[in-house]
Amino acid sequence: MADAPLTESRSPSRLNRRGLERLDLMLLSVEALDLNGGEAMVFMAQQLGFGDLFPNRVELWKRRCYNPLRLACRRGELSETETDALISVLCALAERIYPMLRQLLSSSEPDVVSIQRWELFRQRLDELVRERLNPRRGGVQKLLDPEEGARHRLQLVQGLALGAGAGGFDRLKASLMDAAA
Amino acid sequence: MKQSYRYEQTSCRLRIDGLPDLSASQADDAIGILMGWELDLIGRPSLEGKRNHLEALLTVVLPYARHLVSGVPRPFGADGSPVQIEPLVNGEQSRHRLRLFSSQPDTPPLEFDFDDAELADLVRCLDQLRLDPRVQLGFVIPAEVPLQRREILERVPLRRRLLSPAAGLAALVITSSLSLMLPLPKPAAPQGEAKPAATSAPTTPQAPAAP
Repeated sequence: MADAPLTESRSPSRLNRRGLERLDLMLLSVEALDLNGGEAMVFMAQQLGFGDLFPNRVELWKRRCYNPLRLACRRGELSETETDALISVLCALAERIYPMLRQLLSSSEPDVVSIQRWELFRQRLDELVRERLNPRRGGVQKLLDPEEGARHRLQLVQGLALGAGAGGFDRLKASLMDAAA
Repeated sequence: MKQSYRYEQTSCRLRIDGLPDLSASQADDAIGILMGWELDLIGRPSLEGKRNHLEALLTVVLPYARHLVSGVPRPFGADGSPVQIEPLVNGEQSRHRLRLFSSQPDTPPLEFDFDDAELADLVRCLDQLRLDPRVQLGFVIPAEVPLQRREILERVPLRRRLLSPAAGLAALVITSSLSLMLPLPKPAAPQGEAKPAATSAPTTPQAPAAP
């Protein structure tokens, strides 16, 4: 009889640590843009048929705690079904807030208004990051950094805008599965 | 019977006209033979083209958007392609230059600079076209795949990439230098021996006497 492998090999379709970080940060960005984002996530999960996976906010929160940057971080990996469900919910939420994302990204908006919108987004995101993520982690410090943070926030909003809707699922999932740099 | 479908976003509208390919048993509401397409972008001239132009638009813009989501935008569209796109770095705002080459000789290419919102609108229109089950044109669009490590590394500046190995090498050199400066410990003298030289002489068994 052949020897069984000592460790189970990691499925290539599962998200790595960086993918889990980005997925949770994008969900945090949705919450920063939409004050009812937390409730909307549960509602959207049920609308998309993921009520069994995420019946309430606690179950959703437990899955999001696989983000290594979280204060209450859980070890291990999410299954592909769970990550696919989270990405689907994220795409649907991004579709819902697409007009806001578009306003943030548009250069035709007046500069004063655009700066105010970005500042409001920064404030809300920073509050959520300080409340839920571990400030000792380098990734969190970069996000809170006045200079580097702006670039990270732009990337998050770009990712949400290009991942909105049904067409964005494959794009977003492939991006979250990028090799670690 | 001629079919016409429209896909709209805030700053972008795409219309395609065509016929079902009855030889391929397509439904009456399908488009299997493209008769023409038109792309309207706010504040810019309307674009029209043939099947290969639309396919080039899809195969260039969608992979570009894929790389942009990963934070590593790069030019797409080889020389000779009717559509090319490249990132423009202009301060904090990122912009994207779409270049369209006419099939007519001696016609200069059209250049459009998009902001992120306009690019997102265009990508969403192209997504709607790509995912519409009624459109059965058989375009070959690259699949969305995760980027390889070498593609990701391009976004990390060379100085930052070299910082860790350089710091490790420097630490190794400093540690080695310090350890070379330490004196070697002398061998301890055995206790109770007055003449260590005598004890250090090797004792060899005496050879047997010759008969």
